[in-house]
Amino acid sequence: MTDRVSAETYEVEELESVAIRFAGDSGDGMQLTGTQFTNTSAVFGNDISTMPDFPAEIRAPAGTLAGVSGFQVHFSSRNVLTPGDAPQVLVAMNPAALKASLPELERAGTIIVNTDAFTKQNLSKAGYGSNPLEDDSLEGYQVLAVPMTSLNREALAGFKELTNKERDRCQNFFALGMVFWMFDRSMDTTRDWLFKKFARKPIIAEANLKAMETGYFLGETTETFQQRYNVRPAALPPGTYRKVTGNEALSMGLVTAAQKMGKPLFYGSYPITPASDILHSLAPLRHFDVRTFQAEDEIAAICAVIGAAFGGALAVTGTSGPGIALKSEAINLALTLELPMIVVNVQRGGPSTGLPTKTEQADLLQAMFGRNGESPLPIVAPATPSDCFEMALEAARLAVRAMTPVFLLSEGFLANSAEPWQAPRAEDIPEISVKHPQGHRNGNGHSPFLPYERDPETLARPWALPGTPGLEHRLGGLSKAPLTGNVSYDPEHNEQMISERAEKVARLAGVIPEQDVFGAAEAELLMLSWGGTFGVVRSAVASAQRAGRSVAHAHLRYLNPFPRNLGDVLKRYRKILVPELNSGQLALLLRSKLGVEVETYANLSARPLKIAEVRDVINANLGRG
Amino acid sequence: MSTAATEEITLTRKDFVSDQTVRWCPGCGDYSILAQMQRVLPATGVAKEKTVFISGIGCSSRFPYYMNTYGIHSIHGRAPALATGLAIANPDLTIWVITGDGDGLSIGGNHLLHAIRRNVNLNIVLFNNRIYGLTKGQYSPTSRPGTVTKSSPMGSVEQPLNPIAVAMAAEATFVARSIDSHPQHLAATLERAAEHKGASFLEIYQNCVIFNPNEWTDLSDRKNRDDSILYLEHGKHMIFGKDRDKGIRLNGFTPEVVSLDEVDLDDILVHDATSKPLASILGSMEFPDYPAAMGVIRDVRKPDYAGELIGQVQTAQEQRGAGDLNQLYLAADLWTVEEREEAEEREITSLASDGDEMPITGLDEEYIDEMDKPEEVLSDFQDLLVTNTLAELNPKVPITVGKRSSLARTVRQMNQHNIGCMLVTDEENRLVGIFTEWDVLNRVAGLVDDLTQETITDYMTADPLTLKEDLPIAQALNLMSIHGFRHLPLVDDGGQPTGIVSFRDVVGYLNEALEDMTD
Ligand code: SF4
Repeated sequence: MTDRVSAETYEVEELESVAIRFAGDSGDGMQLTGTQFTNTSAVFGNDISTMPDFPAEIRAPAGTLAGVSGFQVHFSSRNVLTPGDAPQVLVAMNPAALKASLPELERAGTIIVNTDAFTKQNLSKAGYGSNPLEDDSLEGYQVLAVPMTSLNREALAGFKELTNKERDRCQNFFALGMVFWMFDRSMDTTRDWLFKKFARKPIIAEANLKAMETGYFLGETTETFQQRYNVRPAALPPGTYRKVTGNEALSMGLVTAAQKMGKPLFYGSYPITPASDILHSLAPLRHFDVRTFQAEDEIAAICAVIGAAFGGALAVTGTSGPGIALKSEAINLALTLELPMIVVNVQRGGPSTGLPTKTEQADLLQAMFGRNGESPLPIVAPATPSDCFEMALEAARLAVRAMTPVFLLSEGFLANSAEPWQAPRAEDIPEISVKHPQGHRNGNGHSPFLPYERDPETLARPWALPGTPGLEHRLGGLSKAPLTGNVSYDPEHNEQMISERAEKVARLAGVIPEQDVFGAAEAELLMLSWGGTFGVVRSAVASAQRAGRSVAHAHLRYLNPFPRNLGDVLKRYRKILVPELNSGQLALLLRSKLGVEVETYANLSARPLKIAEVRDVINANLGRG
Repeated sequence: MSTAATEEITLTRKDFVSDQTVRWCPGCGDYSILAQMQRVLPATGVAKEKTVFISGIGCSSRFPYYMNTYGIHSIHGRAPALATGLAIANPDLTIWVITGDGDGLSIGGNHLLHAIRRNVNLNIVLFNNRIYGLTKGQYSPTSRPGTVTKSSPMGSVEQPLNPIAVAMAAEATFVARSIDSHPQHLAATLERAAEHKGASFLEIYQNCVIFNPNEWTDLSDRKNRDDSILYLEHGKHMIFGKDRDKGIRLNGFTPEVVSLDEVDLDDILVHDATSKPLASILGSMEFPDYPAAMGVIRDVRKPDYAGELIGQVQTAQEQRGAGDLNQLYLAADLWTVEEREEAEEREITSLASDGDEMPITGLDEEYIDEMDKPEEVLSDFQDLLVTNTLAELNPKVPITVGKRSSLARTVRQMNQHNIGCMLVTDEENRLVGIFTEWDVLNRVAGLVDDLTQETITDYMTADPLTLKEDLPIAQALNLMSIHGFRHLPLVDDGGQPTGIVSFRDVVGYLNEALEDMTD
């Protein structure tokens, strides 16, 4: 049954792009497996996009649906913008992983299963009445049934120093080896990684390598696999690339902004999914004068940020929706103190605790209106994982320019997804200019310092730092008089200060890019999106355009203020459709702020949109034919 | 801006007075605290531009407006958190946090605890008037049980907090208490709080003349206050009273007030501001059962938070050099896309020196940690299963039949040898199948008329899973449990059967092994 077949006899089919989903128990190391495959494909030259799918519970019972951890990677010889609608290949390490991922899998897709995990117990934990490998429920799919556990154990029997448990933990690398073989990938990148990662414990590296090689050669020597595939390198612009997730890009953007301001970076945060990784990324960067502060709660985090901003740092807090709710009062204090800072919201599924590990775009109106009183703040939203870098710089630039907190709305999807990134050269990134008023000794005939004397162009007040002689001043959350900032309940003062704060935010429209459009300047339909839906909507529109449909795409990265030409752009399209992962929040803003008629396509599944889904929506809105 | 210039300037009280009109109720204890603060600050030698007052919400929190220094009147309860961020951004500042019993112990209790616990270099002054003043007279978290207010018309049924005990619970490095009505004592204690590096916690008994005017009467009345206050001095006996005729003695763990006429001076407690238990005892002494302890209760030195954090920045820069952005961007696996002509050579490089890379994020960190963790001591039993091979089980010599044998012959052999499993071999004695009692029951009994006419190959399980003798016992157990096998054939490298292991054999072996271990 194990007749050796030489590799040459296999058919190698050329594919343009493939999406693979690795799924297993949260203890099976599926994120790692997927990441390794991604790195190898990136290094090979494919364009890539990835999306992890964590269980909400860190240690859900093994073998259950709740414990399934998935990682999807889309790799292509073309430019890819999304992690892929429906994977063509599923690697399922147990019945629960199969059950949870099967609905997503493409019809007639390939399933690689670990048959050893299909025990009675695991089947019943996954809610299977009968073994899907033995009944006809997988009919139509191409099933590669491999007893991974026993083959892996056999392969690692020589590793006497390891416990059985430790050997079993290598079986994800066994699976990875099979997939490497199937897609004709080199094992070098992963081998190097293994020996670097487990330098302290080379036996673990050896065992994983052996497992991976065994999986690889299983493909080569057995008939289980009939087919190999090849996905050629993509035509990416020349340059040096790395892979970056949204949270990594955001972290690097924040560090860069601080350096470009010549300031320490203060990052105050309370751990919360899916924003905690920003704290984890920044904490090891002390040599960049990054001062991370793990606060006692969400409120302390934003308040410490206010203190740090007063003290002259680039001050940033990061959280998710529930954290923003707790921070609202303090954000308003920051607004009236008129201090620069960045408030990062990595949005997750809500309301309340909601879906911590899932994605949503439903905090736009919270950022816009979720505070007491008149509280206008600038809002920016990155479009892709690597765009988080750009928008972090933008948020810092706007915050300092207008002396105001700036919201940066990321999403769980962007935070954890990865794409290739052509790292910029630090020297090419412009400085962010920061001005602090000069000090003086009292008694030199200086007029008293006016903490709310506004710059005529930007309307920003001066950022006077404690420690500067002669500029001693007091700020507070009470209503205040213009110029002096002294407490004042005068109704005219109140009105003036409110409109000045609104005006300085509105004036930022003058320094943000104009809105561009992908496609014709006039068309039947304009798809208008924001945030992490960029890749999906752009792909769907591009495909509809290739099919000759009259559709264009505009993607907003600036939500408040809107780009100054947005109103004009929108007038040129007969119909405007806004796809959002909420029930129509951007649409509501557009209607009320620009007085335009827009329609909403709402998706509340707390999962990213799919290209096919948006394609259908486009078609439905243009009429078939 | 040079510090030399700063030192040359001698400041006076007036330098610290702002242009704002003070708006507390006439007679409020806050006036006295403000006056003493403005008197003390010039003496501390800190330039006013380096001095910051941060407050929350409440009557006391108006304080920063009246000080001609930097200041923030923030939101309710959060002053310690703002001050912490400021101290981290600029550790050279002298930061005062002004709070009250409601602001600091109710809505802001959490921040107070954590600022003290972290030992942030702050001077935290808590005005305790045991009432909410600004919101017009509700009971506070320090109000005594039974306090009648607008929100507790039948008397408060709540237990009060003891601010000193709260600070002690947070491992405060400096704890002191004073009272608004005793300006000299107050000034001296403020000065001590200012001197201390780290979090200083100073509770001031403060009189709210409007909503709780009688709270501190016994302690403020000049005529008899010396009988109700114990003034603490490090290294001095705890003696008090107008005639200095009373002292504090420990009876077991309980302090007691004794008359010096009856008790030797040697028995009287000596104050030690470095003793934690003593600080807790002093904090627990509540007036009127005891005299109220005033002065510096605890004063020890520990590293301050911002100093430690900035120290890490310096260490990291010494060890790794000031951060280089290009290195940060490239601290990952890199690949280069060449100008596209022919099939390009791609090379992976990693510029990441150890620790430069951002950590892998997501749940798999735990997965890696677990693989990477130090050698785990196996339980003896696990060890046994993994290290001992199947040979230890003394596998039975296999009884085999040739693949051309009839069913009748096979079943007869099984009966003869009294075994439940028969191995089927080919001409070269290689294993080709297995035939068990289960097969007899399910495939043969009642279904086959003439056993002599049927060959075994049609009824056996072909190509059964096999193991080799030198594999660990655990592996056999695993296969048996996964597949429900009762028998596992063992073969040599040539595929010839060398033995057979039954589930019974394994259980028997385990049982003995367990007995050995428990003996
Ligand atoms: S209400 Fe009480 S505490 Fe507040 S200012 Fe008046 S007297 Fe002082």
